[in-house]
Amino acid sequence: MPSLKDLKIRIDSVKSTRKITKAMQMVAAAKLRKAQETAEKGRPYAEKMRAIVSNLASSAKNIAADNKFLGDGRNSKKFLLIVATAERGLCGGFNSSIVKLAKSRIAELTSQSKEIKILTIGKKGREQLNREFESLFIGHVDLSGEKNITIETARKISTDIISRFEVGEYEVAEIFYNKFASVISQIPSSYKLLPVSFNEKEVDATNVSFNFEPDEDEILNEVIPKSIATSIFSVLQENAASEQGSRMAAMDNATRNAGEMIDKLTIDFNRSRQAAITNELIEIISGAEAL
Amino acid sequence: MTSKFELSIISAESKVFEGEVESVLVPGMIGDFLVLSNHAPCISSIRPGFLEFSEGTSKKQRYFVSGGIIEVSNNVVSVLVDSAIAGDKIVKEDITTLIHEIDDKLSAGDIVNKDDLGLRKNDLEEALKQA
Repeated sequence: MPSLKDLKIRIDSVKSTRKITKAMQMVAAAKLRKAQETAEKGRPYAEKMRAIVSNLASSAKNIAADNKFLGDGRNSKKFLLIVATAERGLCGGFNSSIVKLAKSRIAELTSQSKEIKILTIGKKGREQLNREFESLFIGHVDLSGEKNITIETARKISTDIISRFEVGEYEVAEIFYNKFASVISQIPSSYKLLPVSFNEKEVDATNVSFNFEPDEDEILNEVIPKSIATSIFSVLQENAASEQGSRMAAMDNATRNAGEMIDKLTIDFNRSRQAAITNELIEIISGAEAL
Repeated sequence: MTSKFELSIISAESKVFEGEVESVLVPGMIGDFLVLSNHAPCISSIRPGFLEFSEGTSKKQRYFVSGGIIEVSNNVVSVLVDSAIAGDKIVKEDITTLIHEIDDKLSAGDIVNKDDLGLRKNDLEEALKQA
């Protein structure tokens, strides 16, 4: 049985832990709102970009243009997996769920004897993959210096990815991240960045034939790097929002657990105190009776 | 009375302009072109320069855009740009900074698209004269 003083110390320490988790939860909530706002603002651009690429793609298909960025990647042998995680921990299963998804994809590709390369974004994913797959790493993007993700960062990453694609380091690029479904639910997902393949459904139903200036191929070469940068940008934004959402939920849980623990410890503390008082009384009474 | 059409200028980080306009002068990759209503559907890339449009009788508005793409379809014109700065807010220094950035990239070497950067620099210097 811990002494009264021990219990008091424990209660105080849990209380200060609760204060910290509560503060972290509120910070995450504020950051989440901001992250959601910026993600919202960037959406029209991303949507329009996707529509234009689809339009371009459908007409490029008509003239059977042989663009290096286009293809379905079905018979590719070399894969690049981009694992986008957070720079910080303490956000529940956020990082490990992305890593888990990436690992299962690695296992799947290995069983098909494909060549795999890994590029990590964010420290946490790198740490978790380091143990098993260090030899596959070809690069790392550090986001710790960035308070908010800017399109510039996304552009830098996409330039790097595209130049690696152009020299034939890999044939298919997939990015892993957490999709922001809602504040309490984030879904680990993967998205194929390269090569660009077209979804028939996304093609404009109006089926207008566009004039291109300069020609399709040149525009594709111009637009696809841009659209990849945009995709990476929106992936990073979604990841940032998911991270804050996940942290908020984790910290909310921690705060609640701490509260429960304090209640339990307080009951223990009160009981011990009562026991001590009763004991003292018994001693006094039995002392008085002896006289 | 000329008829109007929808124009939206969207940068990666936000919507810059949205509204009904009468005409847009676009700095296309292979030359400036003017879009009026009922323009044939087209997709074109944009070089860095000034995009000019008029909403009607009032004065023309100018935006400095740093390269992007334009889609014209069904009287809806969408301009996707890396960044856009309103003409009255543009400072010559901004463009100069962009030129310096390209210079830095060029001097850093091992750049794949050296020609692209050179062209961009020319476009920017041209825009600087107009600013």
